[in-house]
Amino acid sequence: MNATGRDNNNLPVYLDDDLPVIRELRSDEFSYANEVWRDYHETTGDPATDRVFAVFTAGRIVSLARCRWHPDGYEVDGIFTPDTFRHRGYSRMAVAALVEACHNEDLYMHSVLHLTGFYTKFGFAPIEEKDLPPTIRDRYTWATGNLEGAEVRPMKRPAGL
Amino acid sequence: MSAREQSSTAVFLYRNYRYLVISGLTVLAFAVNLSGILVGVTVILSHVFYFPIIVAAYWYPRRGLLFSACIAMAYGLIFVSFAPMDYLLGVATVSRMLFFVLIGGVVSLLSSKLRQSEQQLHDIIEFLPDATFAISDEGAVIAWNRAMEEMTGVLKEEILGKSDYAYSVPFYDERRPILADLILKDNPETEKRYPFVRRESGRIISEIFIPRLRGGKGAHLRIAATALIDSDGNVCGAIESIRDITDRILTASALKNASSRLNTIAGIIRLDLAKTLAVLYGRLSVGVMKFNDPEVLSFIDGLKRSVDGVQRQIEISRVFRDIGADPPAWQQVQPAINDAISKLGCKNATFGIWTERLEVFGDPNLPTAFYHILYYYLKDQAGPVRVVATYKVLENRCRILLEVTGPGVIVAPGGESLFAQWNERSGYGLYLAHEILAITNMAITENAVAGKVAGCEIVLPPEGYRITGWRV
Repeated sequence: MNATGRDNNNLPVYLDDDLPVIRELRSDEFSYANEVWRDYHETTGDPATDRVFAVFTAGRIVSLARCRWHPDGYEVDGIFTPDTFRHRGYSRMAVAALVEACHNEDLYMHSVLHLTGFYTKFGFAPIEEKDLPPTIRDRYTWATGNLEGAEVRPMKRPAGL
Repeated sequence: MSAREQSSTAVFLYRNYRYLVISGLTVLAFAVNLSGILVGVTVILSHVFYFPIIVAAYWYPRRGLLFSACIAMAYGLIFVSFAPMDYLLGVATVSRMLFFVLIGGVVSLLSSKLRQSEQQLHDIIEFLPDATFAISDEGAVIAWNRAMEEMTGVLKEEILGKSDYAYSVPFYDERRPILADLILKDNPETEKRYPFVRRESGRIISEIFIPRLRGGKGAHLRIAATALIDSDGNVCGAIESIRDITDRILTASALKNASSRLNTIAGIIRLDLAKTLAVLYGRLSVGVMKFNDPEVLSFIDGLKRSVDGVQRQIEISRVFRDIGADPPAWQQVQPAINDAISKLGCKNATFGIWTERLEVFGDPNLPTAFYHILYYYLKDQAGPVRVVATYKVLENRCRILLEVTGPGVIVAPGGESLFAQWNERSGYGLYLAHEILAITNMAITENAVAGKVAGCEIVLPPEGYRITGWRV
């Protein structure tokens, strides 16, 4: 497999013979995502509150991104590409799909520090922890106000294309 | 006694039987108690007075209290006159008198309330706009309202209490089971007499033409029958409601005839136009092969685009004919938009359609609506653009947003008349989309951002959308 180019983050982009297909999962497909997420903190999707976007190649999920509804805002998380499929731009495709599909809402996330630059490309910008909606902020209460110490940074993407 | 005297006696007894019963019971009660007092029995026998008191209070609630008070006074007088004077007996007698009055008052009150309730029910049936009658489980007519009198010419005094299918005579000129009888007893033979019989939520519904109504001109009737249920939940009768739908049927028939003629003419014109267009397309193709001059080819291309426009207008007229022909249904939005995109054949646009789990209750022509919306917003775009379809859930509503973006996107707001019947820029296409969406109360408005985003939003009514698996 040869690198066919570089993406916006100067990462190599590989293309298989099977072109990736990016789409939102139907509610009956969430179980497939849960299987992939098993290696990612055992994350699971709930059709009642989540919209999940997946990249497929050859009919299998190679990358995921989740947008979760909270009573006071929308949170982006669960962005995960299994090791064997990394460095091919799949995460970028999944996040791009999520951002485009959910652009009508303000989106919040907790980004690990070394990926804040990646998310900035999609319109996310770092914010203070106090600016997070309370329900989303409460997910990291274990960090007791020291998100930097937990190596995560709150980010926000204002609504809009 | 002559027959005439016998007859007048019978009428007197029939009209006054309540007075006679109450009088008889009262005399009996006084006789029993007087006899008892005279032989020294002053207990138990006073209860006999409850019979005339209760009966009188039930039948004549407004005079029940007075009647029971009179009985009590008379009872007291008997004791004073004939019983030995005794303190305890006096107290017992006064308490019995009070109970007579109390029982008479309570029964009068309950009976009065019952009468009010019956009167309200009677009034409801009496003043229903639809002709309505009711039969008991034995087939006797127990209600026949004013509208029924007007429809059939039969007064309630003439038919109340009658059985043996007397209620069918004004309609069918014979005594036979009708729709209400099917509530009491299934009968396939009765069902066969109606063009159709439909059962819906405990009701039996049918429609029939009755030639002898409306002074012999005939009337189309819509009939609905339902069961009368007693307090134990048992069927104790049936009620039948009849609506004259003649005017509606005639109007619908006239509209159908007119529509049929218009469709025939439109079909002929469409066919002729299609043939002419086919010839025109052929000549344009020959022109492209025959000429090499770029100016001529550009001219031919312009002509072809004009012919495409005519072709599209023909298609619009065909869809207008089909709107509402098939009932609305739940439809997935994603395939509807993808279907529209496949017909657009747009080369300079990429698409991000993010409506995977969204379903709307809409006309089957929903993809056509999306086609005309997208066609309008893409037809003038010269450079590469991206079309994004998303949805946004609000409190109990949902909006579908169709947006066209790109570095060189042309945003030309259409104004308030964009979705009106005729718009210079959009032609009839957007009006067609508007009409398709409006069938199920979806509203469409333009939603543009100057210089950045061209597009519109479709507002879905609360009951008109669902997202599979999403929180309610």
